[in-house]
Amino acid sequence: MDILNQFSPVLLFAVVAVLFTLIPIFIAYILAPRTKGANTLATYECGIAPYGSSWIRYSIAYYIYALIFIAFDVDILYLFPVALSYTRGGAMSEFYALLAFVLILALAVIYAWGKGVFTWKRKLSR
Amino acid sequence: MVNGLIEEIKARVMGAEPVEVSYTEKGYHCALETSPDKLSGVVGFFDEKRFYLECLLCTDYTDYLELVYLFNTHLAPCRVKVALKIDPEHPVAPSIAAQYASAYWYEREIHEFYGVLFTGHPNMAYLFLHNGIDHYPMRKTKVPVPSEDQARLDSFKPGEEEDTFFINLGPQHPSTHGVLRVVLKMDGEYIERAEPVLGYLHRMHEKMAENRTYQQFLPNTGRMDYLGAMSFNLGYVLAVERLCAIPVPDRAKFVRIIATELNRICSHLLWVGAYLADLGALTPFLFVFDDREQILDVLEGVAGSRLTYCYFRFGGLYNDVDDEFIAGTRAFVKRMWSRFSLYEKLVTGNVIFINRTRGIGTIAKEQARKYGVSGPVLRSAGIACDLRKIESYSAYDGLEFDIPVGGHGDVLDTYKIRIAEMENSLRIIEQALAKLPGGPFMAEKVPKKLKPPRGDVYQVVETPRGELGIYIVSDESDGPFRMKWRVPSFSNLMIFPELAQGVLLADAVAILGSLDLVIPEIDR
Amino acid sequence: MGERGFHLEKEIIPVKFALVEKVLDLARANSLWPVTFGLACCAIEMMAAAMSRFDLDRFGAGVFRASPRQGDLMIVTGTVTKKMAPVLTTLYEQMPSPKWVIAMGNCAISGGPFVFEGQYNLVEGVDLLVPVDVYVPGCPPRPEALLEGFLKLEEKITGTRRFPRVESAW
Repeated sequence: MDILNQFSPVLLFAVVAVLFTLIPIFIAYILAPRTKGANTLATYECGIAPYGSSWIRYSIAYYIYALIFIAFDVDILYLFPVALSYTRGGAMSEFYALLAFVLILALAVIYAWGKGVFTWKRKLSR
Repeated sequence: MVNGLIEEIKARVMGAEPVEVSYTEKGYHCALETSPDKLSGVVGFFDEKRFYLECLLCTDYTDYLELVYLFNTHLAPCRVKVALKIDPEHPVAPSIAAQYASAYWYEREIHEFYGVLFTGHPNMAYLFLHNGIDHYPMRKTKVPVPSEDQARLDSFKPGEEEDTFFINLGPQHPSTHGVLRVVLKMDGEYIERAEPVLGYLHRMHEKMAENRTYQQFLPNTGRMDYLGAMSFNLGYVLAVERLCAIPVPDRAKFVRIIATELNRICSHLLWVGAYLADLGALTPFLFVFDDREQILDVLEGVAGSRLTYCYFRFGGLYNDVDDEFIAGTRAFVKRMWSRFSLYEKLVTGNVIFINRTRGIGTIAKEQARKYGVSGPVLRSAGIACDLRKIESYSAYDGLEFDIPVGGHGDVLDTYKIRIAEMENSLRIIEQALAKLPGGPFMAEKVPKKLKPPRGDVYQVVETPRGELGIYIVSDESDGPFRMKWRVPSFSNLMIFPELAQGVLLADAVAILGSLDLVIPEIDR
Repeated sequence: MGERGFHLEKEIIPVKFALVEKVLDLARANSLWPVTFGLACCAIEMMAAAMSRFDLDRFGAGVFRASPRQGDLMIVTGTVTKKMAPVLTTLYEQMPSPKWVIAMGNCAISGGPFVFEGQYNLVEGVDLLVPVDVYVPGCPPRPEALLEGFLKLEEKITGTRRFPRVESAW
């Protein structure tokens, strides 16, 4: 029960977040008019029907950008509770620990930079 | 130069008989008739002499079809017209696309409008027209498209390849070029092949010209290039005045120059705004429209409209300029000189802008010649060719101005050249205002029904986009028999597929924007 | 295909509350987001209307969306040719409802100055393809005319006019 009391704000937050997104969708669904023409659900490509298949092998560079993004997104996620804990006052040692955490993750960026991920490379075969 | 050329042609090309022609009457210096088997020899001669193919057009004279090739050099006025007659029942001609890359699209255009089959041409698919049109539109009688030619016209099939996908830089897009569609074959973020598809704004101007009188066609000229409408107006009235030998009073000549140069500044300003919007900078757009509105106020007072002007008439102007116009122009010139430092700080020195434009889309001189590129794009490649200086028409020969030339051939040079051209236009306007004579603004006794002599003329003007050429064939009636518009954006666009190969998509958009295309003049 | 040449769309409105409809109409009229559909010369006057002097943004309509999925107003500025017609109807169908169309310029209204006997590539008026709400005549119409077109469209949506009508001096 004690555990439930401690985490009940989190549960409330989660429920409100879900409702916050679902309620406007519901309101729009019941109030807005809907039309459907022949091409309404077609892919938008400047008004022309798309040509060629889209199931092809994409360049690996796109994936690497996405990976780096995910890594730093998780980074930010870890920093959220740190931001909340600053209200109870902190010592300098906590700050240094945080700085070390951020610098280790920054090493990943420097490695990627050195490996040339941020310049768009062409495929060698062409 | 022309005499030496004629001697050389007689000596080098077998069986050719060039004739020297009066430039003031015709607009070209030398005429030459040839036949299909000798054509490639003649074209090879001009290629060797570093001429560029100005225009390739076709006229339907009912008994025969005539193909006209116009060659010219960049540095001295020397225009040669090469004519080729072909049989209207089975129109076949050899293709010169291998020698001159600009002929590639001209021949496609003639094929779909007249039905002339060019042997040796790699791709005869639709360029302007589409499947719903079942006849050759520009022929004088209705000639239906035979089925094997229809199959040839429909044969546009972008070849699929592994690991590539197709994207349409479609007719509807956020940049302000207009309805241009480019089919891009992409390899990741790089472009393998770019294929423009035109004709989404084909408004049949050339067919309309054959159904109208000379006066009735005047409003069309403003709608072809709506940003440089005064220069299109000017080219048309100069062409008809050359055809009918109508003199123009000096006051009208100077006012025409002032109006055309104001329009040039207007067009370049809009290009700066639209180009930077393409690159992602949305602020300069607001600044340039503010400056444009000052010009439009001044021009609206005399011309009556803001965008699609129809101010010039054969022999002069529609109405005279008043003191308000002169005062307004002076005030605008004074204001504009102070605005250049603003654009310098806002745009030219911006490190992001320089990184996005330096070294992108470099054009070599030989490439520029083969494609018949003109205007600021040509001057960025290093060739100092401005028709206002070379073939001074109207009253430009009394005025002093520079031709800005770029050193690198890249897109940043086109930007700098256009800014410098605006400064030169201000100088021209100041000089023209100082020299403005009094007197009549319209020639006396210009007949309401024009009676032009039989024959053809070719007139060029320098529009903000480049070289505009108007070829009129007259059959002594009061409307043109054939009117062909050689527009600068068409030949400038031809260089885009070659420049865009192997380039990142964002850089290709920067190159396309720097060519300063106005689609209604391409599609006519 | 409907008799007008485009696939007639059926509009479904599940629930209607009168007061809520009034508020929604007011909201929609004051935040019309145009789709950039500049075809020809009139597009430049549309851009001039969106710029500092004739500010379209004060009517809530300054946000020009490139994608039809995000816009609710299609201003057809310029000539519609037969080659462009399928593109136009596709883009119209891809816009979400409720949507409106302003036909700006003589070409979009009825073909404009390009109608002549023997014409082979012109759609004489965009109302042959999509239903048009407001027609703004001119060749090209002044930016003030386009603003008046917007005010008329707002009047059509909400039932009341935002600014009083200015009587002409002639």
